[in-house]
Amino acid sequence: MSHPLEITNLVKRFGGLTATDDVSFHIEQGQSVGLIGPNGAGKTTIFSQIMGELRQNSGTIRLYGEDIGDLSTPARIRRGVSRTYQVPRPFGDMSVVENIRVGLMPDSIWKMITQGPDRDREIELALSVGFSENDLNRRPDELSMGDLRKLEMARTMATGPSVMLLDEVFAGLTKGEISQIGELIQQMRRDGMTFLIVSHDLGALEPLIDRAIAINYGSKIAEGAYADVISDPNVRSSYLGVA
Amino acid sequence: MGLRWYHFAMWAGFIALMYAMPELVSKGTLRTFIFANFLAVFAISWDVLSGRTGYISFGHPFLIGIGAYTTAILTKRFDVAIEISIPIAVVVTMIASTLFILPALRIRGSYFALVTLAFMELIYQLVQVIRPDLTGGTRGMSGIQTLTRGAVNGYYMSLSLMLAVAISMWLLMRTRVGTALSAIGMSEDSVLGSGLSTTRLKLFAFLTGAFVAGLGGAFYVHYLGSIAPRALFDINFVFTIIVAALIGGSSTIIGPMVGAFFLTYLLEYLRPYLPGAERYFIYGGIALLLYMYQPKGIYHIVMQAWERFKPGKSA
Repeated sequence: MSHPLEITNLVKRFGGLTATDDVSFHIEQGQSVGLIGPNGAGKTTIFSQIMGELRQNSGTIRLYGEDIGDLSTPARIRRGVSRTYQVPRPFGDMSVVENIRVGLMPDSIWKMITQGPDRDREIELALSVGFSENDLNRRPDELSMGDLRKLEMARTMATGPSVMLLDEVFAGLTKGEISQIGELIQQMRRDGMTFLIVSHDLGALEPLIDRAIAINYGSKIAEGAYADVISDPNVRSSYLGVA
Repeated sequence: MGLRWYHFAMWAGFIALMYAMPELVSKGTLRTFIFANFLAVFAISWDVLSGRTGYISFGHPFLIGIGAYTTAILTKRFDVAIEISIPIAVVVTMIASTLFILPALRIRGSYFALVTLAFMELIYQLVQVIRPDLTGGTRGMSGIQTLTRGAVNGYYMSLSLMLAVAISMWLLMRTRVGTALSAIGMSEDSVLGSGLSTTRLKLFAFLTGAFVAGLGGAFYVHYLGSIAPRALFDINFVFTIIVAALIGGSSTIIGPMVGAFFLTYLLEYLRPYLPGAERYFIYGGIALLLYMYQPKGIYHIVMQAWERFKPGKSA
């Protein structure tokens, strides 16, 4: 069977800088993979290429065997891949449920007009990421960073992905919020979601992943079980700063 | 859509009041109301195209003008019946609006506004140079067939058009498509990231706004019976439309309608005291004060008050 996500010989150049240098990896069904590396290693660039926000110079990106490398971002999302952003980007003048409503919308103007919003599903998603009933009508400027990340998760989940890319989901969160989001990811793993997770918080990341991939200067430098990757000499010198 | 009984009650009350207006005010005031009705149509059109998506059009008379010129030329030069020329004018305006989508794919913010301004300048020059025998060149056209005679009939015609536009756009924008268009104005990238084609949504906004602009332009020219390019493709006209939408409260449909009446009435009210261009200082000043106090416009000031007594709030 084809893998949910498979990347082969991906290359992305910005002028003289090779931001993604011949990277290949795949993720198996229901697996959760951590993508680690120092700042500027090119983790987010890989995410952007998977989503079609940036176009690769060469290489292929396959989703369940289908080459999605030439599709628009919305078309890729409809095929089941979705991401969150390092800096959450909510719709500022909309409540929590309205933000989720946008994620739930079908990409058809006719259906947007003729079919009303699915209130039950909006609320269900909001509650599933840990919002309380009181939070539903709050606006992004009233939310903490943890709540904003939860909202971003909910809106991403609303698009109905089978592969989720999470970018620095723990940045700026309190310990309580980290364990809350971690628990949410664990729950979704049990439900069969496939994940690719970027995080600098290795302590929070470790229990959430089946294996890890380390990159530096755009190249893959190690891949395997978390413990093996983290003790790899290349990873230790580039990322952890120890010989 | 979440319609409540008080929505129906408010619309019914407003409609009844507006249709009773010829019994209540003088013919001179009625003519002011006619202008307010048309301004409301243009402001609503601007609001649909720009208010939500944040793609600010400075070239709205480009669309209005295409609707107005198309029907004027068809009826006057080719003896086409008005019932046929107005729908054609609307379709032509919608086709012309797709030109807006080309810059909108690549640029945002003030750059987009400048490109639309260029569109308006372009058509202003074009109607003067290209086939002046058709367009009337610099002098414009007069003796165009009118739909109505007299202030009262003109008022009913403009009012019916304005209400039809306002209610249909209000209903349309209450659906999820209104939410999606607002979302584009807040974060276009997040709309893309929600799996929605923003190009298609923007095109929908432009086509719908152009539909209203073309309709308004066509009816306006058949109300006036003449067309003057210098007054139509004028930056002051653009500002009047935009200020009406913003003072009233953009991306609300009701707001631009309220703003159009407020602005028209204000300008008329000031006329005896300040006959010249000084009036525009006053209106600029009031617009400035409103933005400082409530940037979201009159609509939001009223809504804040309404929230305090909203029926069924405790239920």
